[in-house]
Amino acid sequence: MIIKIDGKECTAQKGEYLLNVARRNGIEIPTLCHSDALPGIGSCRICIVEVVEKGRSRIVTSCIFPVMGEIEVLTNSKKIRDMRKTLLMLYLARVPENETIKKLAKEYGAKVPQRFSVDKSEDCILCGLCVKACESLGSSAISTVNRGVTKKVSTPYDEPSKECIGCGSCAFVCPTNAIRIEEKNGIRTIWNKDFELVRCKKCGEYFATKEQIEYINKKKDFNLEDEMLCDKCKKKKAGERLKDVFEDYKE
Amino acid sequence: MSNIMEIIKKYPREKRYTLAMLQDVQKHFNYIPRQALEMISEYVNTPLSNLYSMATFYKALSLKPKGKYVIKVCDGTACHIRSSMVLIDEIYNILKIRPGETTEDGMFSLETVNCLGSCAIAPVMVVNDKYYGKVSPAMVREIIKEYGGEKNE
Repeated sequence: MIIKIDGKECTAQKGEYLLNVARRNGIEIPTLCHSDALPGIGSCRICIVEVVEKGRSRIVTSCIFPVMGEIEVLTNSKKIRDMRKTLLMLYLARVPENETIKKLAKEYGAKVPQRFSVDKSEDCILCGLCVKACESLGSSAISTVNRGVTKKVSTPYDEPSKECIGCGSCAFVCPTNAIRIEEKNGIRTIWNKDFELVRCKKCGEYFATKEQIEYINKKKDFNLEDEMLCDKCKKKKAGERLKDVFEDYKE
Repeated sequence: MSNIMEIIKKYPREKRYTLAMLQDVQKHFNYIPRQALEMISEYVNTPLSNLYSMATFYKALSLKPKGKYVIKVCDGTACHIRSSMVLIDEIYNILKIRPGETTEDGMFSLETVNCLGSCAIAPVMVVNDKYYGKVSPAMVREIIKEYGGEKNE
């Protein structure tokens, strides 16, 4: 079907999420709690847009809004900009010094509200994306703990987790860089736990933790032993393979 | 620790019974021992982090041992304006505990709750399952005495 986003006609599959349709068509909608690797969780609300259907307009969360009919979408109307401004003002109240939030806030003209005093070193906006990433890419080592003003993301009992494999997926997806991950002398430290790093067989750069490799080997039937390559070398290898196939085809 | 197993074995090994198990463990021990959390995690095949998240989310569940008598002082709107904070201060004077804390002898815990639905008799205080209405600071002392508190004075 065809839907109109900011006046541009875009094709969409029935049931496809609005955010995906927009991004595929080059229309940028800001997000915080979204990662292309994971299903939308609709918690940060920054991706809200206006949907006009049968002459009526309503606000929806585009990352979890499935396109079901012919709609018109406004991603940057005054109404939406004002709402995003409010949201960002609230985020600023929690993480006044965070670069990602500050940048977005500037774009929308949101200012730090003066009536709250908060921990200025806080970077986490509690969107929960890291928890989801750990669930599907890692080993469910972290979760949200407590609730209300004391809510935070942590490991059980705030101790180094037995389950954590040090894959760093949580830190990788974090929109505000709130999760500390350090690498020094072949040791990666995350969530108060040290992990020994493994080198790529080709370029010799550290690329994964021992526990990560063990975890993958246990999960999958194949052994990773012969594929101990970092992302870059893996891409290169795949590219070469493709090139060979292509050249064979040409001849 | 066979106790824990007995409690959780009453339920099928399914994730949806987790909260019921946790409630039963809480009731039996007055808190949720770490071992119980680990055993349930294994029993229903759920990550420990999920259970920890649950146990810290619900106010009815506690990871620290609760006192034999749990005093709940209502601090909802009606009780608040009828000076429930004075009751909390009085309890501190007598037992030296603030909301969320437990006396050293493990007899009393203090909690505040947001409404008990008994606003007509505000301010309300509950000890375990017994309700006390229109409580005054002087009554607080009497009530705590009933449960064997304030011996050394």
